[in-house]
Amino acid sequence: MSALLWGHHESNKGLGDKMYSIYLNVAFAAYFLATVFYFIELFFRNRLLPVLARLSILCGIISLTAYIAIRWQIAGRPPLSNMFESLVVFALTIGLALLFIDLRYKIKIVSGLAALLGLLALGYASFLDKEISPLLPALKSNWLTIHVLTCFIGYAALTVGFVSSLVILFKKDEIVKLDTISHRVIAFGFLFLTLGIITGAVWANSAWGTYWSWDPKETWSLITWFVYAIYLHIRFAKGWKEKKAAWLAVIGFLAMLFTYFGVNYLLSGLHSYN
Amino acid sequence: MSIKQGNVWRFLSSIKLAIWLISVIAALSLIGTLIPQNQEPAFYVEKYGSSGYNALLTAGLTDVYASWWFILFLTLFSLNLTACLLNRFSLKSRSLGTLICHVSILVILAGALIGMLFGQKGYMRIEKGQEASFFISQNKQVNLGFSIRLNDFLYSESLNPKEKLLVYCDKKDDCCKKAGLSQTDADRELISEISTEIGVESEISDTGYKVRVLRYLPDFTMDTSTKEATSRSAKANNPAIEVEIKGKDGAKEVFWVFARFPDVHQKKIGNFDFVYYWVGRQPDDFVSKITVTKGGEDVMSRDIRVNYPLQFAGYSFFQSGYDAEHLNWTGLRVVKDPGVGLVYSGFGLLILGLCARFYVSPFMGTSRK
Repeated sequence: MSALLWGHHESNKGLGDKMYSIYLNVAFAAYFLATVFYFIELFFRNRLLPVLARLSILCGIISLTAYIAIRWQIAGRPPLSNMFESLVVFALTIGLALLFIDLRYKIKIVSGLAALLGLLALGYASFLDKEISPLLPALKSNWLTIHVLTCFIGYAALTVGFVSSLVILFKKDEIVKLDTISHRVIAFGFLFLTLGIITGAVWANSAWGTYWSWDPKETWSLITWFVYAIYLHIRFAKGWKEKKAAWLAVIGFLAMLFTYFGVNYLLSGLHSYN
Repeated sequence: MSIKQGNVWRFLSSIKLAIWLISVIAALSLIGTLIPQNQEPAFYVEKYGSSGYNALLTAGLTDVYASWWFILFLTLFSLNLTACLLNRFSLKSRSLGTLICHVSILVILAGALIGMLFGQKGYMRIEKGQEASFFISQNKQVNLGFSIRLNDFLYSESLNPKEKLLVYCDKKDDCCKKAGLSQTDADRELISEISTEIGVESEISDTGYKVRVLRYLPDFTMDTSTKEATSRSAKANNPAIEVEIKGKDGAKEVFWVFARFPDVHQKKIGNFDFVYYWVGRQPDDFVSKITVTKGGEDVMSRDIRVNYPLQFAGYSFFQSGYDAEHLNWTGLRVVKDPGVGLVYSGFGLLILGLCARFYVSPFMGTSRK
């Protein structure tokens, strides 16, 4: 969109838009710094670095929350309706999940990679159309907020589960601790993935009269759910742990990514809102 | 020897089988997302050729999720799950969460089965001012036992924020210099982008001229006898806006700007050129104002909107279609699904079970890791 916004009430709106997207830039810088701090920490032991990294992430979380709150106010609806808006929420939930895991388990490489993924989400978002567009009638529902939030809390947890599993595949020490992180975070993510699918089903039933229509997004979310269900069962039944289980977590994450991005770009269906 | 000790039983109730069945169901589901499902034959013939279409049809790949083999695997999975439940779980508090999770899956599947066997799904179309007492399900007429009258149908669109009234002016003119140059056309300069929101007055950059949009017509036509501008239909065949411009001296002029015919422009006002940049508006709301009647008497009046279905006598009515040309009728999806209650109970149990399994039993001390 051209920067030419001179009409009177337009210029005010344009200014407001610019002012609040500063929060997005701050968050981007904060996630970038956090990533850098975590990675430097891998090579140099320093007491200050973990503090700085966590403060950066915290700063990123606060900025993203402020961004979402202001956008919510300007749009007069929850900003959770297209790829751009969902990526911002995804970056926020990744930040929250990683801060929690970092405080609890303190594994630099996991925190650093998770921060990098949050940064990638924000970077990708920066290429997309940031314009606030009106909602289609089907999206005007209170289920929108609860459905998107549960999905992205789940996605963030599964992303952290993927990161710690990925590290298991390449690392020789701390594997037991990493395996515990993966298992716990994936169990949590599975609970929220379930909540996301269920809230989606209940919403679909109130909008279209069917709680399940095998549309590609629904089907892929179910496939993702199956992969993680297998992950949880195979650990218990066959004692798959560490590297073997980690491979399944990686497959689950790829299925999740396809549910999130692939379905929107490669397959068509009810979820093609952006 | 009890059945529980047999090899067959051991196999049927094994988690190993469960994992294989889940993998197969996941793989079959995946295939169903790669081939578009339930399309018209012409679609498949065009995409895969007629022999390809026949092959897909024979294999059930045009309707994967209702094919016998998909249902077979779901049935096997349900049997396996039931066997697991009978074999493995007890009502001890530490495995209660796991038990609830697995029971909930069976409850959801049972609800889905009930919906499949006893549910009805169909469509009805009601003309404005008329009433209808049946819907069409699989080419058959199903009587409702009551009627629905469509009193009115309202359709509204939301303004696309990209939609603008662009104001250009001659390069030689001084208003351009005053406003600063930016987007160059051949011989004219874009000096302002004005919102097409009805009634909002904006100044054309710093020229002292003020404009506002008075009306929007999606399908402009001029009544030849009355010279009155009206919309021929609700479809955006000829989007046009009526614009009022007010000069520095307060003199007003009103004119129409057409999105599809940028050159149709009656007069030049203050050396400005107006272009209606139209992007396509989105539906904002569909409202069917209906009254339910039974035995000739009105029972209730309500609005049916997307996300706000009407529920009456076990049926639900969903806003799902409309007359895009003239807004003269509404299309309602009619659903009766006696399994929904069970499915929702299953949903509740699943969440409860997962919470108990992951977040209650780990703190009960004796649970396995």
